[in-house]
Amino acid sequence: MLDPIEDGLKLIQSRPEGVLQSELWKELGVDSRKCSRIVKKLEEGGLIDRIEFKKDGIKTYLLKARQMPVNPGDLLAGDELIPCIGCELECIVEECHPLMDWMYQLAIVGNTND
Amino acid sequence: MDSTEDTLNNPAVRAYLHRLVGDEGLNLLERFPEGGEFSDEELAAKTGINLNSVRHTLYTLYERRLAEYHRIKNNETGWLTYLWQLRNDHIYDALREDMETVLDKLSRREKYEEENDFYICKDCHVIFTFPIAMNSDFKCPECDQPLGHFDNEMLLKSLKQRIESIRNSLGHA
Repeated sequence: MLDPIEDGLKLIQSRPEGVLQSELWKELGVDSRKCSRIVKKLEEGGLIDRIEFKKDGIKTYLLKARQMPVNPGDLLAGDELIPCIGCELECIVEECHPLMDWMYQLAIVGNTND
Repeated sequence: MDSTEDTLNNPAVRAYLHRLVGDEGLNLLERFPEGGEFSDEELAAKTGINLNSVRHTLYTLYERRLAEYHRIKNNETGWLTYLWQLRNDHIYDALREDMETVLDKLSRREKYEEENDFYICKDCHVIFTFPIAMNSDFKCPECDQPLGHFDNEMLLKSLKQRIESIRNSLGHA
């Protein structure tokens, strides 16, 4: 495990319903004190929310990843918008010619940027 | 709330909205009066855009929660009027939802590109998978020219990079 903070974040992000702090340290394979430090770092970085939670009468925290705004630029290849947006064709993604054209554009733009 | 001008200044957001509502819809967004709520007929009158286009645009935006209405009843006539306003603040939620679908489609395409070997007819520019190419003795079923191997490495590489970027953007670990 190279970066426990990143691992912690990934684990929390993979559970949209949230993770209990009392369970996070077990899943990460670290002790609870180290887990507290990880959670503190993530909370200070604005990456997660820490919500008070009672489980079997014991106070713990529910940890939820914050949603970051998406990057709309990911829908573009150059200035071509991906054809899937607003597409009303029957979706056969393996044989989709408009998607193939977009992928060509993506490869060309990618090569130019590399 | 972001102004419509700010929203439309982002080229990707503009392209996204243009795909959804077309030229006339984008025209309506640009001319939509600031603040307040307006009926479809008021909007058509204020912007000079055809009433049917106004309605079509509003319903399309409504489906993605980018426009909302409230209904008022005229007590004398019993007629209902729908007053509309834009919800530019929902644009990133709409994009997120569409990007989840896009991610699913691109991941399926990635798997297909990874799992197959491809052959191309250099005359017709049609690409075939290995089993199909083999069944036609590596000749184009359309023009009978011999098929050549098609290297999808560059396509796959850029596709993978984009998938990774979308996954990160959506917060998928």
